[in-house]
Amino acid sequence: MEHLTRESLARLVDENPDAHEARHLRTCIVCTSELEALRAQTQALAALPEIRPPLGDWEVLEARLRSEGLVESPGLLERLSLAHTPPWMRTAAAIALFLGGTGVGAAFTSQTQPSADPTAFVGQTAMFTDATDVDAAAAALQVAEENYINAVSQYRQFLAQSGGDDYQGDPRGRFAALEYLVAASQAAVRQAPADPFLNGLLASTLAEREATLRRISSSQDNWF
Amino acid sequence: MTESQVIRQAADGNDRAIRTLYERYAPRVFAVVRRIAGDDELAQDYAQEAWIRAIRALPSFRGDARFSTWLHRIAVNSALQALRKTENRRKREAPFPAEVPVGPRSGDTLLQRRLEQAMDGLPDGMRQVLILHDVEGYTHEDIGDALGISAGTSKSQLFKARAKMREMLTALDGATNEGGVEAWST
Repeated sequence: MEHLTRESLARLVDENPDAHEARHLRTCIVCTSELEALRAQTQALAALPEIRPPLGDWEVLEARLRSEGLVESPGLLERLSLAHTPPWMRTAAAIALFLGGTGVGAAFTSQTQPSADPTAFVGQTAMFTDATDVDAAAAALQVAEENYINAVSQYRQFLAQSGGDDYQGDPRGRFAALEYLVAASQAAVRQAPADPFLNGLLASTLAEREATLRRISSSQDNWF
Repeated sequence: MTESQVIRQAADGNDRAIRTLYERYAPRVFAVVRRIAGDDELAQDYAQEAWIRAIRALPSFRGDARFSTWLHRIAVNSALQALRKTENRRKREAPFPAEVPVGPRSGDTLLQRRLEQAMDGLPDGMRQVLILHDVEGYTHEDIGDALGISAGTSKSQLFKARAKMREMLTALDGATNEGGVEAWST
């Protein structure tokens, strides 16, 4: 007996058999079971689940949408996920960012630019502590973010001026400064956990702190 | 907020609204694009391209069709066009590959993985027709429009694709059963 071809059977998943095919199927268990298997395969294909895109897909897409001007740039509060939080919470976030950023900024300013005017930070602190409404808190928060970014930039500058990875000075001072920076980064990430920029800063700060800690540890080993 | 409000805001460039749409539909978009691409890396590029096109076209979405259908069409067309443009596309005419790199995804059953694997092993034309018809539920006329072929060609490609899939799955079952695992048992 000549069996039906697989392609013919695949057609019979959707269409009715002609007279010859119907006659054959009535008597051939091989073709009947093959047709059943093809039907099961087709049903299984229709039931395939959705597939989640890989992690980080949204961040890549968002960056592209921004670069093509398809999304509005979010405001600072939006970016820190603070737009819908109560003012006191924004204020708390501002404190965390501001004090952390200013602390590190001041620490490195004192090492790299001894003549920098410390009253600038006092003035900014006053601006923050006077913030009694949302707009003032937002303005203070903007200053805080600028200080934070400034702190990172000054830290990098500090590294460049002091020899970067080949820095031979006391790593404990560097470690203490990095502790400030880590605290400020963590505070920012807690407020905006999905922000790739802040997460990137935190990751690089943690990595630098870890490297410094290893250096301290290895110098102690050498001493013994 | 209703979906039409979210769509309107997304059309105005509101990133939260765009993210809402993305979170709701990304798995569906990625699934169809991944299957058409037959490759994880290409799929990510194609899906991104599909989203960019969709967001760009959002202001023209009038709500005549469901948003999910509209988006799905864009994803399919975008992936098909991208696939045509991909110059260094690996040849798919070879017999069933020993191992197709389909990463495990949560919720996958062995049968689903085998189906995905077998689809990845089909030649491009057959795979596209099979995905659009058997997975996505397109008619042969719709497939003809999307692929630039006749409905008759779509049918004949579908029957070949089903037969080839069955052949590959049978071979896989045989190989697996030698190791003591029943492929269709899950």
